[in-house]
Amino acid sequence: MGGKVTCTLGEVKNRADLIVYWGGNPAECHPRHFTKYTLTQKGKFIPKGRKDRTMILVDIRETPSAKAADIFLQVRPNKDFEMLSILRALIKGQRVHAERVAETGLTLEQLTDFAERMKKARFGVLFFGMGLSMTRGKHMNSAALLSLAAELNAFTKFVAMPMRGHGNVTGGDVIMRWTTGYPFGVNLSRGYPRFNPGEFSTVDLLLRGDNDAALILGADPGATMPQPAIDHLARIPTIVLDPKVTHTSRLSRVHITTAATGISAPGTVYRMDEIPLPLRPPLKSPYPTDEEVVRRIYKAVAKKPMWLPPEEPAAKG
Amino acid sequence: MELTITKNATCTFCGCVCDDIELHSDAERIVETKRACILGESWFRNHTAERLYPDALIDGKPATVDEAVEAAAEYLYNAHLPLVYGLSNVTCETQREAVALTEMIGGVVDSHTSL
Ligand code: SF4
Repeated sequence: MGGKVTCTLGEVKNRADLIVYWGGNPAECHPRHFTKYTLTQKGKFIPKGRKDRTMILVDIRETPSAKAADIFLQVRPNKDFEMLSILRALIKGQRVHAERVAETGLTLEQLTDFAERMKKARFGVLFFGMGLSMTRGKHMNSAALLSLAAELNAFTKFVAMPMRGHGNVTGGDVIMRWTTGYPFGVNLSRGYPRFNPGEFSTVDLLLRGDNDAALILGADPGATMPQPAIDHLARIPTIVLDPKVTHTSRLSRVHITTAATGISAPGTVYRMDEIPLPLRPPLKSPYPTDEEVVRRIYKAVAKKPMWLPPEEPAAKG
Repeated sequence: MELTITKNATCTFCGCVCDDIELHSDAERIVETKRACILGESWFRNHTAERLYPDALIDGKPATVDEAVEAAAEYLYNAHLPLVYGLSNVTCETQREAVALTEMIGGVVDSHTSL
């Protein structure tokens, strides 16, 4: 993510005295986040561990993570962007309208206290989850939160980090950025990368019926995507690589069983703070790894004639 | 049977990617996990090295990996706009290969991030 003001979880552990979770429920979705990286650990500049840190949770409902928090702020659903905008005004000492504040479901005192705590922190961090980035406002919400973090650096050190979900999604972003320049939804059909979320993102492509074949690996869209997108996957030749026969495998033309990442397949995965970590698989699988199968498909395609149309002969004269 | 102990194993179930897990395993399964949370523990216990599924399936019928690789290559090669999607529960090395394959077949490569 370009221009993001961020850090590693090691820095959070050693330095952060104000930890804000926004639209995420780490107690249930990232169970060791508190104990391994953020709240309870003692750090180099946080000698007393939990006692030296303040945790604020912002969410639309009181999840089990609220128990761990010092302050829980219940924002009204779909008012995250408004709340972020008010906070951005408050940290700069600007006046805010009472009715705008009322909209968020919080009081001016609560928001002012929050803004002051962020300004006074020695090292603050804003972790944001899907409750922020996948609800009304979507990436505008994330952008507002990232701006808040950036602007707080006029007063103190402040960073932001998305709470990434399953497995190696972070690695996916990093690898695509490295190889194509864009983090996801990259169209290579013209032989060079094009990026346009909403046009080249999977659900949009499938809903429009743009794809005429699909290779699915490390995911089970047949269990998670909107039904019309799944229907399109069932219509076209779909190929699945997975350690199990999944929902998607059942509607596919070709399924290949592969070794499970980190269990019986070695390699590298990225942590949510973009730190690459090696896997230490304890088991030996009877199946090939995804890496090996993708490479074999690559070789099998490479044997066929090039798909590009032959070059037009240059005009003479 | 003697158990193999794997120290500092890495859990890939959530974005925390804890790399301090101790695993005790026999030839086929992980029987004990240390330091993993409940999600991580069930993740490690859920996957075994048993041969529970056919090597490959073509139109729902068991096939060899060679046949399946050929069939996959044929479908992807013939497509005008193939989609390569997922990339969550795979290694970076696999992701790199997937991007290379997408480039060759002239497709779109995408991950969970776009959802
Ligand atoms: S052990 Fe738990 S917190 Fe750590 S990566 Fe696995 S699922 Fe996430």
